[in-house]
Amino acid sequence: MRKRSIAFATLVAGTAMVVCGMAGAQERTVKITGFGAKSGVVRVFGINSEAAMKAAAEEINSKGGVTLGDGTKAKFTVDFLDDRCNAEEGISVVRRIASTDAFVAVGPTCSNVAESLFGILQKKVGDASDSGLQFPIIADVAAKGGLAKISEWAFRNVPSEFEMYKSLIAWIKKEHPNLKTMYGGVEKDFAHSNATYGVMKSQAEGSGLQVLGPSEWLLNDTTFSTQVRDMKRANADIVAISAHPFTTCGVLKEMARQGVKPKLLIGLTSSSSIETLQGCAKQAEGIIIPTSFAPVTPEAKLAAEQVAKFGGSADLHSAAAYEIMFILKDVIESQKIMAKPDTVQADRNKMRAGLAALKETKGLLGKVGRTADREAIKPYLYVHAKDGSWQVLYKPTL
Amino acid sequence: MDFYLGLVQIIGVHTLLGLSAYCVLLTGQVSLAQAGFFAVGAYVAGMLTVLAQWPLIPALAVAAVVSGAVACAVGFPALRVKGLMLVVATVAFGEAVRLFFFNFTYQIQAGVLHLGPHGAEGFRQIRYFPEHGWSTLDVVLFIWVVVALVMAGLWWLDHSRVGAVLRAVGEDELAAQSVGINITAVKVSAMTVGGFIAGIGGGIFAHYTTHIEHAQFGVVLATFAIAYPILGGLSNVFGTLLAAVFIQGFLIEGLRFMGDWRNLLFGGLIVLAMNVRPRGLLDAGTTRALKRLFAAGKERSGA
Repeated sequence: MRKRSIAFATLVAGTAMVVCGMAGAQERTVKITGFGAKSGVVRVFGINSEAAMKAAAEEINSKGGVTLGDGTKAKFTVDFLDDRCNAEEGISVVRRIASTDAFVAVGPTCSNVAESLFGILQKKVGDASDSGLQFPIIADVAAKGGLAKISEWAFRNVPSEFEMYKSLIAWIKKEHPNLKTMYGGVEKDFAHSNATYGVMKSQAEGSGLQVLGPSEWLLNDTTFSTQVRDMKRANADIVAISAHPFTTCGVLKEMARQGVKPKLLIGLTSSSSIETLQGCAKQAEGIIIPTSFAPVTPEAKLAAEQVAKFGGSADLHSAAAYEIMFILKDVIESQKIMAKPDTVQADRNKMRAGLAALKETKGLLGKVGRTADREAIKPYLYVHAKDGSWQVLYKPTL
Repeated sequence: MDFYLGLVQIIGVHTLLGLSAYCVLLTGQVSLAQAGFFAVGAYVAGMLTVLAQWPLIPALAVAAVVSGAVACAVGFPALRVKGLMLVVATVAFGEAVRLFFFNFTYQIQAGVLHLGPHGAEGFRQIRYFPEHGWSTLDVVLFIWVVVALVMAGLWWLDHSRVGAVLRAVGEDELAAQSVGINITAVKVSAMTVGGFIAGIGGGIFAHYTTHIEHAQFGVVLATFAIAYPILGGLSNVFGTLLAAVFIQGFLIEGLRFMGDWRNLLFGGLIVLAMNVRPRGLLDAGTTRALKRLFAAGKERSGA
């Protein structure tokens, strides 16, 4: 009897070990590498992107992971490299990622880095005379308009600021017909804020607002008294600030100190974040910003909670990183990507083709359209700072 | 492999930047204007290949001449001041150049694209290397041929009477003047040669990164430029090369796996290196020791 029990226990243990071993052998991982600024003035964007990618990976893994081309299931792992918002480092980071088995990279944070590294990619797919790098990159944060046009290997999941500000200015004209003049404030040395001010200005002029001029400052500036004095002198109905949270807060505090109170304040998309509220919630009260993220849908609320668990904050940029992980999962499955060392270039080609073929993706606020030049058309809404939080002011019908 | 070749490219370009400062440092002058000359070279070479469709080598040659001429023009007034005043004057020049490109727009229509410098948004599509089918290895070879030529030129200069004059001015200006050396001419010449080399480096940099903008040519780059020869040592040109390898290869890329700790270690290790090797990583003593070692090796193999 005892011998039989021992034999049975041995059989059960052996079977369990074999089953576990088989499961272990089939447990595969797919590493997705992100990169962006985790140092310097804009480091918070990199930190948020990393947290969002990890949160999305956990969400995907908890539901079984991703199905690879050979039918096996794999879990996502996320690695994130710091490019310090420096073009040379960005290129180096991408070359480092491309020298591994990776078939895609997610990033970067800064538009100037995207300009450089999209430039080293092959411009047109299949052009044998172009020796550029053949490696797909999908950007989550770099927001300057039209960057994906640089290379057919470049993709973005960032909102169209042109559309957002066009819509916002039109809405302001309709809702506040008494407002006639606008004054700008621009963080002149940062590609994104500088380019977006151009959009704000052209849309304002196009809709009949008189633009009385801009005040300019730099990303690392800490004093703004001269610029705000000019702003005060202009006495415009609307003040539009195209700057990131750090200098936006500096300017808003200086405006409060000098008693500049425009009838309406507009901010840059990137400032619709927790950093602005942490830095100057009181002074930012009432500022209106178009954004492609707010926790207004069940998916967006869940994403915001998940990102917070990983030490980040969900905003329009990190939400894009979160969405990208789901886009990658869908493309891996639809293109039957193998994720094996001997299929690296084939997987890269499949990933590029899959991303290029997308007409629509699932976003946290709803469906996201894809354009022929590899950009996203994201749903958006207007938020305003109210009582220390971002609250939805208006959701345009798209 | 591509990653390591890319890294070797970066090291080559930064070696050129460091060598441009090396020339000036030999005369005992600390110049923070090298980033400005580097920027001039980058924009001139980029405009010539992108807007005028010039081949790369003539474009680099013109960029070097223009940067050298700018350096010469800057040298006359700037080198009349010394020490900290020179540092301030050259920083001011570097910032003036940066702000010039910050506001400089010159674009032409090429099909649906606008090409050329566009103020604060920079100058994109400087894609000579990929558009002409240069592989990463081709670019590496090209850069290092240029670096080797520049190093050979400076080595020869260093071992000629000109080098002795440069070092004499650097060691003791008054003594050099008392033996009839024209101090201003020597300093301006060193500045011009430095500008010439920075122009070549800047031109290659623009084509390596494919996009340039004013912010890349600020005080940080100027500090790197003088850090290479100071950290590497001024006893010969190889010190600058060694420092570029140490900073770009080890401190920036080698420590990337350390994540957030990398930035802390970056400064700490430079301070440590300068404390351990106050006369540079490759100082005169080390150079002599290496020479003795090679000589002994040759004797042994001869015997």
